Amino acid sequence: MKSNKVMTALLLGMLVASAASAKEHPGKEFIEQNGYKGPVTCEECHPGKTREFLSTVHWKHASRVTNVEGIDPQKEYGMKNRIYTMCNGNDIVNNLKEIPVNPQTGKTKITGCNTCHPGNHLSDVGSAGSEAESAVDCLVCHSSSYDFTKRKPFKDAQGRVVMGQDRSVKAAASAGKPAVKNCMVCHESAGGGVLVKRGFSYTKENDVHAAKGMVCVDCHKAANHKIPTGFDPNNWANDGVRVACSDCHGEKPHKEQAYNSHTARIACQTCHIPRNGGAIAKDFTKWEQLADKFYEPATIQGDVRATIPVYAWYNLQVKNSPEFIGPKGSRKDKKSKIYPFKVFQGKAFFDKKIRQLMSMDFAPPMATGDALAGVASAAKTLGIKNYEPTPGWQTLYFGSNHLVTKSGALTCTSCHGISGLLNFKALGYSDKEISRLTSPEIYFKKVLEKQKEDW
Amino acid sequence: MRQRGFIALSVAVLTLLAISLTGIAVAADMKMVGVVTKIELADKDAKTATVALKDNKTGQSVVIVINDELTLDKLKDHRIVEGDEIRCKYEVVEGKNVSTYFRKTAGC
Repeated sequence: MKSNKVMTALLLGMLVASAASAKEHPGKEFIEQNGYKGPVTCEECHPGKTREFLSTVHWKHASRVTNVEGIDPQKEYGMKNRIYTMCNGNDIVNNLKEIPVNPQTGKTKITGCNTCHPGNHLSDVGSAGSEAESAVDCLVCHSSSYDFTKRKPFKDAQGRVVMGQDRSVKAAASAGKPAVKNCMVCHESAGGGVLVKRGFSYTKENDVHAAKGMVCVDCHKAANHKIPTGFDPNNWANDGVRVACSDCHGEKPHKEQAYNSHTARIACQTCHIPRNGGAIAKDFTKWEQLADKFYEPATIQGDVRATIPVYAWYNLQVKNSPEFIGPKGSRKDKKSKIYPFKVFQGKAFFDKKIRQLMSMDFAPPMATGDALAGVASAAKTLGIKNYEPTPGWQTLYFGSNHLVTKSGALTCTSCHGISGLLNFKALGYSDKEISRLTSPEIYFKKVLEKQKEDW
Repeated sequence: MRQRGFIALSVAVLTLLAISLTGIAVAADMKMVGVVTKIELADKDAKTATVALKDNKTGQSVVIVINDELTLDKLKDHRIVEGDEIRCKYEVVEGKNVSTYFRKTAGC
């Protein structure tokens, strides 16, 4: 009996020890003994990984895009060069740099779109070669002890703008699988503020996957640093690998056949992501002065879960026009499903001569509030000489792919009730069909049974 | 007559209760935008921190207590530092301004 207890204790001890060591980076001791010298240290055990990383979207901020109309399928697109109204600048026209002096304070600051690029800015977006390889900031994604005071842009002795990195032994010794914060440090700040762009907070309160202890890379599971993404109509660049709910949950995930019968034409997100959030509208033609006297584009921000999605057919192909970037698809198109979207509207300058949206260098308006100076600077960078800037609005449909709920999912009456969420008319249904789809006949028996179960 | 008195008293008590609850609700809705001037965090395992914010509108310093894990983590690894502008909501609990929403205004 006593020996059994000892054995149990030993086994428990081994389990605890193995769990603890599983969390610890196997190279910790090596790093502590030899110091951390950047990617070259990582390459001791992970050979070829740095070069591999240089070919990914996280380094290039661009890729070939095959599902968006009106663009060249042989060229690469992404944060590097896109022009739209969530981020009216991009890595090229709004490169990380020292902005002009604010006339009221005499102060300047270093800022730009590529602040989140995991290099040192000397080796920047899409750079290649050994210098680029040694500039990769492996730890900003892989360390759980990264000190972000070190990841700040500064000017070196030659006056070049450099992005700092935490290459301390402490940070390197805690390297491992990226945690939520490693991803969110950049992804929650995109679009000009915390939770502005997609407006989701990946926390246990807000997402059923987070509540189960899952981290971003459990779904966005990388292979060779290529990270799968979904088909958000406004997330163009991709590593050629995709993620979908059905990868884990299958095509018929419900116990009830009535729900499974919907999955052919209704995306999982439609019922399981009933709210979204983030910026609702932004005006790049009007910059507002902040407390520090610098300027930011005027933004109407919604909180997490503040907005109800717009539902539309989507066949994973993207309509791309100056006024609208969003889903293509229809009820007749059997590849289309109804998806929820977070709709955003942005105001910026269009070139009246060619009816195209113009991009903006944020440095001038950030310093002085002069938006047209930003357009002029971007035009100069792009070699555009003759243009006629005129303000206008663009509507963007972002995918609603996070804030997933099981308990708060839509039910029969959410859509089939007489004041349901789906606009069946706009989705292509006839009056006769709508009458049938919104009749209690369609759900009454099932909802009544559920009501009895609940009470 | 006695019953009427009881009803009147009940109504009065309920009204007072409603007013006091409304008072709490109002207190729960304090909002401000301000710049971080001081961060006090006991150690890396601290379960609470205090942050002084200089209110953009009034110029007054407001001390905010941070208890939520997400914001504490941002303070610990310096994703939020002195000089950052913060949009904050807080409620007054036992005389302390306890944060319910604490986010940097700036982004990329």
